[in-house]
Amino acid sequence: MAIRNISRRKLRTTLTVLGIVVGVGMMLALLSIVSGMDVRVTQMVRALGGADITIYNATTPGRGGQPFGGFGFTIQRTINLNIIEQVSQIQGVYAVSPQLSFMGYIGNTRITIYGIDPQTYDEVTGGLNIINGRMLNVGESGKIILGKAIMEALNTTIGGKVKVGVSTTEQREFEVIGEFETGMMFQEYSAYITIEDAQNMTGLENEATQILVKCEDPYMVSEVANTITSYIPGVRVTTPTAMVTQATQLLNTLTMFFATIGLIALVAGSFGVINTMLMSVSERTREIGILKAIGAKSSDILKMFLAEAVLIGALGGVIGVAVGGVLAYVLPMFMPGIMGTASILGRTTIRGIRQVGSTQLFTPTLTPTNIVVCIALGVLVGLIAGLYPAWRASRMKPVEALRHV
Amino acid sequence: MSKAIVETENLVKIYRHGKIEVQALRGVTVKMPNGKIIGLVGPSGSGKTTLLNIIGGLDTPTKGKIYVDEVDLTTLSEKRLAEYRLNKIGFVFQFLNLIPVLTALENVEVPMTLAKIPKEERRKRAVELLKMVGLEDRMNHKPDEMSGGEQQRVAIARALANDPSIVLADEPTGSVDTDTTIKIMEIITKLNRSLGKTFIIATHDPMVKERCEKIYNIRDGKLIGEN
Repeated sequence: MAIRNISRRKLRTTLTVLGIVVGVGMMLALLSIVSGMDVRVTQMVRALGGADITIYNATTPGRGGQPFGGFGFTIQRTINLNIIEQVSQIQGVYAVSPQLSFMGYIGNTRITIYGIDPQTYDEVTGGLNIINGRMLNVGESGKIILGKAIMEALNTTIGGKVKVGVSTTEQREFEVIGEFETGMMFQEYSAYITIEDAQNMTGLENEATQILVKCEDPYMVSEVANTITSYIPGVRVTTPTAMVTQATQLLNTLTMFFATIGLIALVAGSFGVINTMLMSVSERTREIGILKAIGAKSSDILKMFLAEAVLIGALGGVIGVAVGGVLAYVLPMFMPGIMGTASILGRTTIRGIRQVGSTQLFTPTLTPTNIVVCIALGVLVGLIAGLYPAWRASRMKPVEALRHV
Repeated sequence: MSKAIVETENLVKIYRHGKIEVQALRGVTVKMPNGKIIGLVGPSGSGKTTLLNIIGGLDTPTKGKIYVDEVDLTTLSEKRLAEYRLNKIGFVFQFLNLIPVLTALENVEVPMTLAKIPKEERRKRAVELLKMVGLEDRMNHKPDEMSGGEQQRVAIARALANDPSIVLADEPTGSVDTDTTIKIMEIITKLNRSLGKTFIIATHDPMVKERCEKIYNIRDGKLIGEN
């Protein structure tokens, strides 16, 4: 009956539903964009390896970014591992792990190879996301962990043998013991071996390209970073997780801002519902009188009109979710503000990621929770907006309502 | 003769329109017999509709007493009055009786839906009632696809849905032509005979008057005669 009643004035109902569609659509689109950015930040935290501070060699001139001597492979300036002792004694430092990364080759494929110390690496970064096989053991030689993407590219499996080296010619055999996933292709174009193997391969005994540091307290990161640069000469530090924390705060602000816009749109839509329902009640005065005369209680009338308002709200919610789903993908193209934010986030990413086009920086994410919340919002708006008109209808005196033609 | 179905004592109804007082009923005392077709006759503004509405529990008297089936209506709450209208009374108005979005069958079902009668039973009884008023082939039509007379017959069927004690009709033939009036009155007479229901009809149509077994003449809010 509610369906037939709201179908009486199709144009009016359609316009009213559209009011809700706009509100719900906005809400879902914005929520999806924000969740998309949230996923992006989470991915980045993982991509950054979870280290609070990364220490690099800051001395010049260096060989950084240039082909390394006659070896023909690319490596950054290195740090001597004896600073690890110094770093671990700084107050607030929880764990320290050296990493020797360089551009190397598996077969003919050029990839980033990370030499790590498995035990301290796990302490500092929380470990790799191993989806198959196992992590490296300390001091283990001739074993390699590959990213999912390179694994697929090489068409190899756990237990398979690959040739690894600093060039395409100077290579030795490694056994694949694990596969990791990050959710981002370019990161999975990399491999992990023990730092000892990496040092042997590059001929850089007792050297590392980065020292990764985990702090006892995430809020002490910048303080610890300052101490490191002042105590140890010739190094520079980055504090990627601190930047991510800032970005997350920015995201929260954005979420609040967008949620407010969506809510304002919904409030505007609810006035449409109130208006439509009041008109409907007034047009159907005689009908209300008849219904009361044949025995409808005030509560029956109340329920009848509320059902219509809720139906309008639910329709708006469902259509709004569909529209919002599309908007979530279209809107970012017209919102340079968000894109600007995204590129700030982009700058916090580790080397080698920046080549990813800015349009790929985040993808809107439609989560089931957001969809359900948005439909529920539509229903709720219908219900609240329908309360007053339905109450007016239910309060009508039958004799007076019947006099109305 | 059986006991009175409607009994009033010095019934007074005063309407206030702003500062103007209108005395619609000025002390009506009447005992209406059970199971008859009763006419309330008088010119418009005489108070017959007011009396009908008070009997039907749609309106409450300013003063006086009214008993229907020995129940004192003045003691009933608004909610109880709605239940009373649902179960004891059937209403037929002059026009626009039906819910426009519902078919004839669904309109007849409305009172039964309100009384929470199960769907199958509801449908069965609605079909029966529409057959009684001769509309078995119009059951799935909406009000705007039916003539005025057909709409009134659907309204009569609906009035009987919850097996009420009394059917109240306010100018039921006021908007239809002579032939239709005759047809409607035939149906009312037939239903009165077969079901034993009391029909109280407010009218000023002589043709309707003719069919009534008991007539109360009302003028200026007072009972001026009965026969």
